[in-house]
Amino acid sequence: MTADAEVAAPIAARDLPPILGLWRRFVAQRSAVIGFVIVLFVILVGSVGPAFTPHPFDETDLLNTWSPPSENNMLGTDRLGRDILSRLIVGARTSLVVAVTVLAITLLIGVAVGMAAGYLGGWIDGLLMRTVDVMLAFPAVIVAILVTSVLGSGETTVIISLSIVWWSGVARLTRSLTIVLRQELFIDAAIVSGTPLPLILWRHILPNIFAPILVRTSVGVGFIIMAEATLSFLGLGIQEPQASWGGMIRDGLPMLGADPYLALFGSLALGVTIIGFNLLGDGLRDMLDPRLQGR
Amino acid sequence: MITRSFIKGFLCTALLAFACSAAAAKTLRVNIQADPAMMDPITYSELVSGRIIENVYEAFTTKTPDGKSVPALALSWEPLQSGYGFRFHLRPGVKFHSGRTFTAKDVKYTFETLLDPTMKAGLGAEYLKNIVGADDVKSGKSKDLKGVTVVDDNTIDVAFTKLDVLFPIYPIYIMDSGIVAEQGPDWMTKVSAGTGPFKFTQWKRGVEVDLTANKDYWDGAPKIDDIRFLIVGDANTALAQYDAGELDFLDVYEPIYQRVLGDARYKDQLLSVPRAQSRYLGMNQKLYAPFKDKRVREAVSLALPRDAMIKGLYGGAAFPLNGVVTPGVGGYDPTLPPMKYDPVMAKKLMADAGYPDGKGLPPIMITCSPEYKDELAYYADQLHKVLGMPVTVNVMERATFIKAMNAGEVAFFPWGWTADYPDGMYYLAQMWYGPSPYNRARYSNPDYDHLIDEAQSTIDVQKRYDLYHQAERVLLDDWAMAPLPIEASLALRKPNVHNISNTPFGFSSFKDTTID
Amino acid sequence: MVVYILKRLIGIVPVLVVTLIVTFGAIRALPGDPVTVMLSDHSANVEMADRLRAEYGLDRPVLQQFVDYSTHALRGQFGFSYRYVHVPVIEVLGTGLVISPLLALAAIFLALPFGIIAGTFAAVHRNQFADTAVIVILVIALSIPDFAIATFLVYLLCIKLGLLPVAGWGSLAQAVLPVAVLAVPSAAYIARLSRTFMLEVLQQDYIRTLRAKGLGERLVIYRHALRNVLIPVLTQAGIIFGGLLSNTFVVETIFNIPGLGRLAIESVFARDYPVAMAVVLLFVLFFVLINLMIDVLYAAIDPRLRARMAAA
Repeated sequence: MTADAEVAAPIAARDLPPILGLWRRFVAQRSAVIGFVIVLFVILVGSVGPAFTPHPFDETDLLNTWSPPSENNMLGTDRLGRDILSRLIVGARTSLVVAVTVLAITLLIGVAVGMAAGYLGGWIDGLLMRTVDVMLAFPAVIVAILVTSVLGSGETTVIISLSIVWWSGVARLTRSLTIVLRQELFIDAAIVSGTPLPLILWRHILPNIFAPILVRTSVGVGFIIMAEATLSFLGLGIQEPQASWGGMIRDGLPMLGADPYLALFGSLALGVTIIGFNLLGDGLRDMLDPRLQGR
Repeated sequence: MITRSFIKGFLCTALLAFACSAAAAKTLRVNIQADPAMMDPITYSELVSGRIIENVYEAFTTKTPDGKSVPALALSWEPLQSGYGFRFHLRPGVKFHSGRTFTAKDVKYTFETLLDPTMKAGLGAEYLKNIVGADDVKSGKSKDLKGVTVVDDNTIDVAFTKLDVLFPIYPIYIMDSGIVAEQGPDWMTKVSAGTGPFKFTQWKRGVEVDLTANKDYWDGAPKIDDIRFLIVGDANTALAQYDAGELDFLDVYEPIYQRVLGDARYKDQLLSVPRAQSRYLGMNQKLYAPFKDKRVREAVSLALPRDAMIKGLYGGAAFPLNGVVTPGVGGYDPTLPPMKYDPVMAKKLMADAGYPDGKGLPPIMITCSPEYKDELAYYADQLHKVLGMPVTVNVMERATFIKAMNAGEVAFFPWGWTADYPDGMYYLAQMWYGPSPYNRARYSNPDYDHLIDEAQSTIDVQKRYDLYHQAERVLLDDWAMAPLPIEASLALRKPNVHNISNTPFGFSSFKDTTID
Repeated sequence: MVVYILKRLIGIVPVLVVTLIVTFGAIRALPGDPVTVMLSDHSANVEMADRLRAEYGLDRPVLQQFVDYSTHALRGQFGFSYRYVHVPVIEVLGTGLVISPLLALAAIFLALPFGIIAGTFAAVHRNQFADTAVIVILVIALSIPDFAIATFLVYLLCIKLGLLPVAGWGSLAQAVLPVAVLAVPSAAYIARLSRTFMLEVLQQDYIRTLRAKGLGERLVIYRHALRNVLIPVLTQAGIIFGGLLSNTFVVETIFNIPGLGRLAIESVFARDYPVAMAVVLLFVLFFVLINLMIDVLYAAIDPRLRARMAAA
């Protein structure tokens, strides 16, 4: 359909380089390693961190609001006197939980729909792709607002909004990959030898398109995190008193002149995390894309 | 030779420049938070347009910066001889912006238009509901409002079905009866039809609303030539524009209160007054059983430190409220004792009520619209800390929340009620009176209701205020709600702008404002 | 070709119809109706509420409202706004309709040259310091949300240094920051694309041939390689433009610009159904038309695609 220059060439099963070669190439890209380290760190903080926060993240102290970093509060406090560091840690979990859940949902639905459309073709393809077109044509912010207004704000709503917006892109990509792959000889061989459809999809198509999809989506994590932050910034995101980086930036911005720590540290956390995921994604892509091999 | 002509030239230029600057138009630039929804006094129904309309239209009376009502279009009034009602003596010699003279005919016309079912009338219609014949006009049965009689050009009688002592101070803005014939039904986006110190000139949607001075204003022409209300939605943007000299008078929005208060630069430019908004923590006894016990309600109030809240939650931009009627509003009681913070007593009361350390309390949500999310987080945490109350935060979208509140479906919520005219009755009769649709906590107290009924038929002002005081104490003794600090209304005034004030009801009209 | 275009145009119709239905349904499903929002704190005034509801036709059955709305919309009548009493929807959309596309256009015109040059520069100096530096900047530019970029820029350039006016829309100076903020992520994306394409192109045989023939490196790059990078980048630019159009909201809010993005959000919050619906329909129409144009453009340029389309 639309020229999608980002579609990586499909990798037929027999052309995957040996794992060692892969790893070496990956490590050779310093940026990818940096990305990997950052992502690992964030995952660690987000999963284990909340159990070890210096203060309860929702504990208020009205006599100690907007204070700069101190012994008691390593990164300072926010509008209600809550510890910024503790909230950043919990925010990591929020971002990760949302991102992973959205990713899981969209991969499931997007890949399934994309494969069906690409493989089966015909009117199924037409119908599914029309649906995808409509979904892609909707401004993401509007979808978020509509969903939030109907369902109320909160983590679940954010996940639903982002999933609705994101899955169609995954479906499109999957479909393109599937279409190209379907024309390969070994698929014909499988069909001729009587392999049932689900098995073809599962055993032959899926493993070969999974790599580029994974690459595309690992870069997508960065964008999902940014989207969640934007929603929280607009006030459509995570419910109080749960912490989210986007929400923290939003709260901290009015005080940027007098007491910038909340906005600053929130932006830092958000920026570094997204950078990490982007670097990792780029690294994965460079590693797996045969067109860029040998340079 | 050359020097002399040079000096002459210089002096001429200087004089010219001086004359030019003296003649340069004085424009006051103020910010408003959003587009007004409408520009006419008939459909008028919300705060933003109110700010602008106040400068263009006038009612029988007007508010002074300290909350008193003084004659505007009505010089005086007295009760009618027969039945309920008032005879108003209108100010002579007042002209509309169109040039026509203001007479009693225009008053009757305005009232009838407000009640006309085909006009999308706003708040104004509410105030007229007790006039004789109002129902007939509203239902379309009649076009003539029988209860209003034009006695002569400057005298008008208004008769009621029941006593409405506050009628003279209702903000019912009078419009020019000849304007529709002249300009058509959508006159409001084209011309100005009021008697006020400023005329409406244009409205660039999303950008600004412009007014220009009414040189024939009955109280003297304004000292400034134009007003531009610039629409700025974002708090920081507005402040930055003020700093950059693009605004002369700044309505400070809530998100940057702390920033403005903490900045020494603004100290001499700051105007801070308590809003005319009675704030409270509503506890619906019908929806949450423990609230039925007075001790629980008192414990909730005692667990909240108002001083820390003023300092922490509002950054100092708040005033204590110890009752219902707010400062600067008629009937305010300055003798009420301040709200106490006593966590020890609060814990004891809770235990006495059968919930020691909160054990046995069913979970409860505290609800409000998104602007108050931080407050909610604070209450939830504080009440849990002190009383062990299992409170969770519930942020609800604004329209949904208001609907739920009106339906009496919200059990626990902070909210406020803003007065439209400077009399405590506005709060007392609407917020806590049994049958009032705005009694959102569904509070019911027959003693209180009787006091309010009595006050509504008391014409003598001081006696009425005494009744207000009594009613307030009934509410407080019964812990009907927990009064919360009133948000301040903050404004910044550039040093070269004078005679401009910030009142509990918003800005005073700009008719006396000057710019150096 | 013409057949293809016609086919696509016809294909747009179901998209629009579905959008109409979905948007209508979604907005109506929102809790809190326009009357409550209009009356706000006074909404317990049942009489006034009922009257307003009848006036706006909100008391009719939903299906009827949909039919009425659709038939009017087809004729280009989008009704009157609920939020701005007496004002037709077209007028409310008026300024935003011009401003938002203008913003997006300006941003893309800024982003394209910057992006292409940066990307080419990086590709040419691959694996040297310049390349790494550019890549680092790109990654940062793509990772920091636009509201953060905007705020830091405002703080630095307007408040601390006083170089530019803070907000509003009308003068050239006021347009600088919003366009810049919008352009940054797009420029970074274009740079990345350019770099990737340029790397690919530089590997091609014909480039090697040109070099072997003794052609100066600079000519090779700017005359030959760049041409083949421009085309795919420009087609992507169309998509980016579409994306920009739907993402002007944050910039419009921070810089107080009366654009469509901000209007869309505000009207949904205010339950201004007619305006909200009109804006969403417009956005969808824009996007779909832009996609169509891209496809046609691409097909016109790439003969292989043209052949495939002819066969389809």
